[in-house]
Amino acid sequence: MLTDDSVGIQVVRQLAERLKDCLDITTLQCYAGGISLMEAMSGYEKAIIIDAILTRYGKPGTIYSLTPSDLRQSKNVHSTHDANLGVALELGRMLGLPLPKQVKIWAVEAQDVETFSEALTEQVERAVPSVVGQVLRELRETGPIPGEQP
Amino acid sequence: MKRISIDPITRLEGHGKVEIFLDEQGNVANTYLQVPELRGFEQFCVGRRAEDMPTITDRICGVCPEAHHLAATKALDELFAVEPPPAAKKVRELFYMAFFVTDHTTHFYALGGPDFILGPDAPPQTRNILGVVKKVGLEVGKQVIECRARNHEMIKKLGGRGIHPVAGMPGGWSKSVSEEERKEIEEAARKNLEFALFSLKVFDSLVVSNSAYLDLVLSDVYHHRTYYMGTVDAQNRANFYDGTIRVVDPEGNEFLKYRPSEYTEHIAEHVESWSYLKFPYLRKLGWKGFVDGLESGVYCATPLSRLNVSDSLATARAQQEFDRFYATFGRKKVNGRYQPVHHRLATHWARLIELLYAAERMLELALDPEITSPNVRAIPQKVAGVGVGSVEAPRGTLIHHYTSDEKGIIKTVNLVVGTTNNHAAIAMSIRKVAEKLIHGAGVVEEGVLNRIEMAFRLYDPCMSCATHSLPGAMPLIVNLRDSQGGLLRSFQRGG
Repeated sequence: MLTDDSVGIQVVRQLAERLKDCLDITTLQCYAGGISLMEAMSGYEKAIIIDAILTRYGKPGTIYSLTPSDLRQSKNVHSTHDANLGVALELGRMLGLPLPKQVKIWAVEAQDVETFSEALTEQVERAVPSVVGQVLRELRETGPIPGEQP
Repeated sequence: MKRISIDPITRLEGHGKVEIFLDEQGNVANTYLQVPELRGFEQFCVGRRAEDMPTITDRICGVCPEAHHLAATKALDELFAVEPPPAAKKVRELFYMAFFVTDHTTHFYALGGPDFILGPDAPPQTRNILGVVKKVGLEVGKQVIECRARNHEMIKKLGGRGIHPVAGMPGGWSKSVSEEERKEIEEAARKNLEFALFSLKVFDSLVVSNSAYLDLVLSDVYHHRTYYMGTVDAQNRANFYDGTIRVVDPEGNEFLKYRPSEYTEHIAEHVESWSYLKFPYLRKLGWKGFVDGLESGVYCATPLSRLNVSDSLATARAQQEFDRFYATFGRKKVNGRYQPVHHRLATHWARLIELLYAAERMLELALDPEITSPNVRAIPQKVAGVGVGSVEAPRGTLIHHYTSDEKGIIKTVNLVVGTTNNHAAIAMSIRKVAEKLIHGAGVVEEGVLNRIEMAFRLYDPCMSCATHSLPGAMPLIVNLRDSQGGLLRSFQRGG
């Protein structure tokens, strides 16, 4: 509820509604990262993460399609608390946890992540339907939802 | 020395920053700790129903929702002037101990442990949980993950939902514990106890028995004589769920004891021009600057503090470790209690002793016949309109303070999160290490910067309340600048 920080939640709520009849897909609103995020993915073949991002020169509302290895180059992946996502995934694999073979990330450039509010800022709000569409397209093109309407 | 003014409005780009400024001789002139300011929390809460606060505030922090949930619930007990039945308090505490075990375990193996297990001079790519697992063995990594999994499961059973608990309500808890659940919780507690003892052995063999590391812990670089704060029960033993707030002076004498509702009488806040951060201090002594000593109002609230304010611990094995801890640092008893340990790196050891206490306490509560009582709720009859709830969060004394109108609609909210207590102590720890290790112009090595970061990391600061990066917690950058403010080196967690 830090304004644009909830973009992931908003997208997932809409996806949950569209995917409610797909038993192979779990939608989850997750508020923690690092090891907790890795644990949430355990047991699935594929994981899609949607979240806000802050880049140095980014324009709010811009949508990025990333993988965990992209994040290794970014500044914004360090957790003072447990481990960044890259490390957490590597840990999980090292320990033989059944982690997804594919992890994709949709990140939306945020404008404000420092004010408490349940609403998104305008440009981020406008990106939401686009992200929902892209994720659904991804799920259609690579499985497991053949024939789902965009 | 050239004065460098820092514009306090500078945006931090979603990071916490430590800025170290060197003078013309290349020695440390000033250090600054900055964290992004979160705005509008009170406005966000005003107008909401007070009984929603436990589920609102537990979303502030993805790392310690349980702590906020309980502090909020306890604030509501007061706001609605209702006393929970004894069984409800036990269920709340049981829930909380499961959380403490997970949190302290994760911190040690992922964050604090790497400093010792890999060493402060190890390359940054190895100074993380992967490095720990590679050194100590895959089995340990599996145990950490299992510990988290079993306790998250218990928290879900007790708290009513995964990740964000919902069971806290004024006057009690929304669900009681069945006998079947109690058996599972007992089993989880026993496994926790084994793992806690194992972790202390790891620390012992890799740190206490290693003279190089012990020297690091004992060195003057990480030594500060300040006041210490924690919560204790009626026998002056640490209790994370409930009790009286106790403050001891640098010599170990009791300085203050107060109920959480009295906190504003004893704690004031200092403001610096270079930071949004508030720096709490002891009102009675006043703010004397970022300095140690009996006359300075600076205090800290950490696992080390909680041991320092306790006369003893309430569970048997933790008590043994408590005695061993103080003996290792050569601390004697004066007036029946140990003089404080001031070596801040010892906080990592203190955290493991707390882990052991939490595991033992969890087992005690799981074996308590009252834990399965169906009587876990007292119904509020009125609205008192003000409530303060306090618990010991893993990273310090946490306070939730609400006022409401006569219908129970929130009017004001004030939170003092655990790490806030430590803002001054953190700034001082960073500064001391920087001053002692950085001299003259020239290349500052990785090891030096890591030792500076260790000064911050030992407090396990929860900056997760600030911006969330993808992993869900805020990263920290250490910037080293010359006397003109030009950037010499920039260093961050994980390299």
